[in-house]
Amino acid sequence: MVLIFRFNVYRPRSLDDALEILDREAPEVIPIAGGTDVLVLAREGVIKFKGLIDLWPLRRELSFVRREDGFIRIGALTTINELGRSFLVNDVRYLGFHDLIHYFATPYIRNLATVGGNIATAHPLSDAAILLLTLNAEVKLVSVKGERWVSLENLYAGKRVLRKEPNELITEVRFREKPVNSSTSLLKFDRRKAHIMGYVVVATYAYMDHEVIKDVAIAFDSVGKPYPGRAKLVEEFLKGKSLTNDVLSRAVKEVLIKEMTRISDYRATSDYRLYLSGVLLKRSLLKVKERIQRGSLG
Amino acid sequence: MSQIPEHIRIVEEMFSKYKKFVYVGKKLLRWDAVSKVTGRAPIFTADFVSRYRDALYVYSIRAKYAHAMIKKLDVSEVSRYPGVVKVITAKDIPGVNDVGYVVPDQPLIVDRKVRYIGDVLALVVARDYYIAREAAERIHVEYEKLPVITNPLDVIDLETLSERKHVLIHDERGSDVVARYRIRRGDAERGFKEADVVVENEYRTQFQEHAFLEPEAAIAVPESDGGVTVIVTTQCPFEARRAIARVLDLPQGLVRVIAPLMGGGFGGKEDIGNVIGAKAALAAYLTGRPAIIIYTREESFISHSKRHPMIARYKHGAKRDGTLVAVEAKIILDTGAYASLGPFVAWRATVHSVGPYRVPNAKVDTVAVYTNNVYAGAFRGFGNPQVHFAVERQMDLLAEELGMDPVDLRFKNILREGDTTVHGQLLSKDLGVGLEEALRRAVNLSNWYEKRREYSLHSKGSVRKGIGVAVLWHGNSIGVEAADYSSVSLIVNSDGTITFRTGLTDFGQGSLWGLVLIASEILGVPPSYFIIEKADTSAVPDSGPTVASRATVMGGAATVNAAYKLRQRLNEVASRILGCPPSDVEIRAPDVFCRNNPSRRISWRDVIEKANWLGIPLQEFGYYRAPSASWDEDTGQGSPYITYTFGAVIAEVTIDVETGEVTVDRIYTVYDVGKVINKEGVEHQAESGAIQGLGYALMEELIHDAEGRVLNANLSTYYIPTAADAPEIIYDWVESGYKRGPFGAKGLGEPSLVGIAAAIANAVSHALRAKINELPITPEKVYLTLKKLGKLRNDVQGCRC
Amino acid sequence: MHDEEYPSVKIKLRVDGKHYEVYVKPYERLVDVLRYRLGIVSVKEGCGRGECGSCVVLMNGELVPSCLILAVRANGSEITTVAGLAPEGKIHAVQKALLDVHAIQCGFCIPGVALAIKWLLDKNPNPSDEEIKEVLSGHYCRCGSYLRFIKAVKIASRYIREGRIYFDIKEVIS
Repeated sequence: MVLIFRFNVYRPRSLDDALEILDREAPEVIPIAGGTDVLVLAREGVIKFKGLIDLWPLRRELSFVRREDGFIRIGALTTINELGRSFLVNDVRYLGFHDLIHYFATPYIRNLATVGGNIATAHPLSDAAILLLTLNAEVKLVSVKGERWVSLENLYAGKRVLRKEPNELITEVRFREKPVNSSTSLLKFDRRKAHIMGYVVVATYAYMDHEVIKDVAIAFDSVGKPYPGRAKLVEEFLKGKSLTNDVLSRAVKEVLIKEMTRISDYRATSDYRLYLSGVLLKRSLLKVKERIQRGSLG
Repeated sequence: MSQIPEHIRIVEEMFSKYKKFVYVGKKLLRWDAVSKVTGRAPIFTADFVSRYRDALYVYSIRAKYAHAMIKKLDVSEVSRYPGVVKVITAKDIPGVNDVGYVVPDQPLIVDRKVRYIGDVLALVVARDYYIAREAAERIHVEYEKLPVITNPLDVIDLETLSERKHVLIHDERGSDVVARYRIRRGDAERGFKEADVVVENEYRTQFQEHAFLEPEAAIAVPESDGGVTVIVTTQCPFEARRAIARVLDLPQGLVRVIAPLMGGGFGGKEDIGNVIGAKAALAAYLTGRPAIIIYTREESFISHSKRHPMIARYKHGAKRDGTLVAVEAKIILDTGAYASLGPFVAWRATVHSVGPYRVPNAKVDTVAVYTNNVYAGAFRGFGNPQVHFAVERQMDLLAEELGMDPVDLRFKNILREGDTTVHGQLLSKDLGVGLEEALRRAVNLSNWYEKRREYSLHSKGSVRKGIGVAVLWHGNSIGVEAADYSSVSLIVNSDGTITFRTGLTDFGQGSLWGLVLIASEILGVPPSYFIIEKADTSAVPDSGPTVASRATVMGGAATVNAAYKLRQRLNEVASRILGCPPSDVEIRAPDVFCRNNPSRRISWRDVIEKANWLGIPLQEFGYYRAPSASWDEDTGQGSPYITYTFGAVIAEVTIDVETGEVTVDRIYTVYDVGKVINKEGVEHQAESGAIQGLGYALMEELIHDAEGRVLNANLSTYYIPTAADAPEIIYDWVESGYKRGPFGAKGLGEPSLVGIAAAIANAVSHALRAKINELPITPEKVYLTLKKLGKLRNDVQGCRC
Repeated sequence: MHDEEYPSVKIKLRVDGKHYEVYVKPYERLVDVLRYRLGIVSVKEGCGRGECGSCVVLMNGELVPSCLILAVRANGSEITTVAGLAPEGKIHAVQKALLDVHAIQCGFCIPGVALAIKWLLDKNPNPSDEEIKEVLSGHYCRCGSYLRFIKAVKIASRYIREGRIYFDIKEVIS
């Protein structure tokens, strides 16, 4: 039912302070960023804790979108709407972020939900993580013991399970800048037109040279595991080819089918999810192609 | 010759007398709009909570299983938890442990068995909800699990409609069949033999959740006279009072129920007031302190009644020229764990089961059965949306068989003035029979014939278009369910304002505003003079429940009575001052004058003062008892409703056949409402019903797993339409004039939803050229439909559909 | 288990221009503080999960769901509810527009919708239909006033561009 229990809240003065508290109190005390996930999971009885470390005081240092040394660096406490106000959504290469904001929950949730929180939630329907997977993003984990970079792909171990110590915090995510003539897109589909979680979520990155795919990365809410993943076989198949009807059709009917398994649940059957994945994959790729050709949103 | 009762005679007189209107039919900003948009004052029940210091909170501990015997129940550890004041179990109930609205089958707190996951084992009364919830975990219950039934066909056979052998859910009743109704008219079997075309199909609809935005709440305060006052979200304050008095074993007069404005109801707050009001009252009564209960959204999902799912088999027979010859229907409604309003829902479904058509031969059987699902009860339409989906789909399929346009088939068969219904009720002019006009207008508004042709040919890439029609009827008020009466009080205060009191409630539909407009019209006083009070059982006599689209037609008739009598006396008083006969008195407050000498004016306040001096009472109680309805249990013959609201709905859809996404572009509605009283209100209803109906058609479904647990008890996994889903809504009105309605008015609350899903389903069917027999029409269902027909795109471009 | 295990925290916040100091429990939400401690009942709770839009407030200028914000986080913040949109005795262009189109039925969603429209127009003074729907789709209206909300945004936008920000309540009622 609804399990709203009592807990304490720690308000750290700095990142170091937060790391110290976390080191001391984890796993009974967990970090809270926007709260749009943690507080709902607590309510559902999925997680329980004695206390929360409120990361919001750390926003000044951990909310940013920068380009530095050939990387795009995004602070973990950057909200989804802040992403939408950054230079990313005007850069044709990163138009996937424009889609991300459009499809992500509701406007008021986007003022609270953070990139780091979305990654840490380790749930298939983590839109930001899905997009970042196509950009080969890396995540910075920091603790009292030091810091390390982990590729986003390797971060997920299971449903809501990260390869992260309880005393580690995600502070940043980064990806290498992409070449000109590349773009990204993210698509979602559900049974109504807005405020949706999605039956299927797909993100695509592609770098094309005169219609030929030089590089491509495709990520789904799930390829078979209970967390976002890349469709590597489809990527391999598409490299070096043009996005003709035949190529798209074969990518879906011959390759994706082999690579992806889907679950049936009360929301949709595996059959429909698999079918829909193919439809959205095709549309997502064509959208990226259009953006590269136009040099704009399209 | 029987004499017409005075209260009806007055309404009939007003209907024929008034031709021109000052307030009625106008679009006037409702009385509560400004306070709702500034939001400062408490409006809804939970808004009043902070006024009660020293209050306790009531939390319901619910069942772990959907069907089980309770072997042991130990709350001792819960009671000992710091901060807990009392734990209430069934044995603490002073009176009768039952809150059923129609049938006494619903314990407030269970002690013998649990029948669905929402059943309450104990109430924890504590300082706050956090403590209550933590304490609740310390309850010890030993269950003996019983088989969980989530499929009504495990209880009843669709073919024979006889009960199957199973572990009874309501063993104390000896059967899990709650109600049976039938219609037998003519000879259906022979009718089918004479038919040139026969169409037979099975239809299924889903559980729908009201999802009113304001969760249920109640505040109960113990009174010094040993009674209790309960502020509660209820559409039926007198039913809540009856239930609470019964639970507490108090005389009804010691239980005061106040119903503030509600944030949505739609039938979902019809009987939950009994439950939540009784819980709060019990806690207040037993602790001697104010008790507050506010449901979480998740609790709301599993606590109040849902719309009955339907499984129905329909068979239609018609002649080559389209004339209906026979209709046979077997209808099963799943009423879940408790009956709630189920027996009445099943009756209304039966009455309307063949649609608004001339049907010479009919054989209808309806059964409502228990399952271990969340219980079903009242929801806007009350059985009618379900049967209209089936009937209107059948009509379209008949049209297809006959090669006829669906609208033409409707025109061929719809009920017109002077026709007899399938129950043998004569639809005389007095009832107001505007269905034909409504259909004609809808056809013109939508440009039906051209679009039907155009969309049949439309096939561009993955886009298909369709247009569909549905006609509907909806009996006004409660028919033979119970004694049908309503009342209203008008009290003129010495400062000229008028207190308006009724036991009818408002949950957004603006019902009370319509009543005020009626009073304004008859008294000659602007609506701004009226002060509308909250429904309060200590301030008004029973006005009947706010259900069944009856507030305007019944409350309005009561208002006509009150205003009429009051006006007579005001005329008398004014005539004494002005010197002209009372019938010449014109009241245009603040002015009062004689028609033949308008320059001589006195004021409204003058009249009031004079009345007080003369000893002429300026308060009036208006009472209205509906004309009798009748229904024969064996044949379904009689006059089940006082009148019917008729309507025609046309929907246009665009379908993406790749994803299965259905977009409703436009909905046209033309309702015959007898007379538009509250212009703002009827427009709201048309839009409201269209959007809620769209949700019912395309996306809403409450889902249980095999163990009877609800899987989507929140507002992101239970999908209701958002602003992005709203179609264009175009409406027009027919005013056929119901002689016994206030100025001819009929109800619209429910009719505005009844035909929507049917029209959308017909449009989708047109677009896909496929049968649609199930709601909701989700993208996956569209996908499966196309897949089964082999019409799925087998490459990225071509579609063979 | 015991109250003392969760010591109260003092927070200071300004709501609709008024300064408040209140002791809150660490697990209390902003919506609880506003509604039940400060009596600001225009902020509603419809779902408790940040899905329905009824609980939104403007916190430091941003539209946020108060049911998902811990009260302690609101320390030092500036909060605007629908009552804070206009001075006493007046209503804001957004509220006037909602009245103009007769958008109000049960009224439960209205405070949230009004704030969302204000937030939208602050950022985007002349939004397209698509942009309007995107912002409004986070706010459920079960009574079905969506089409009227969309019209209201356009009317409010025009009022604001014309410099007509506030309207006298007395004039509106008459």
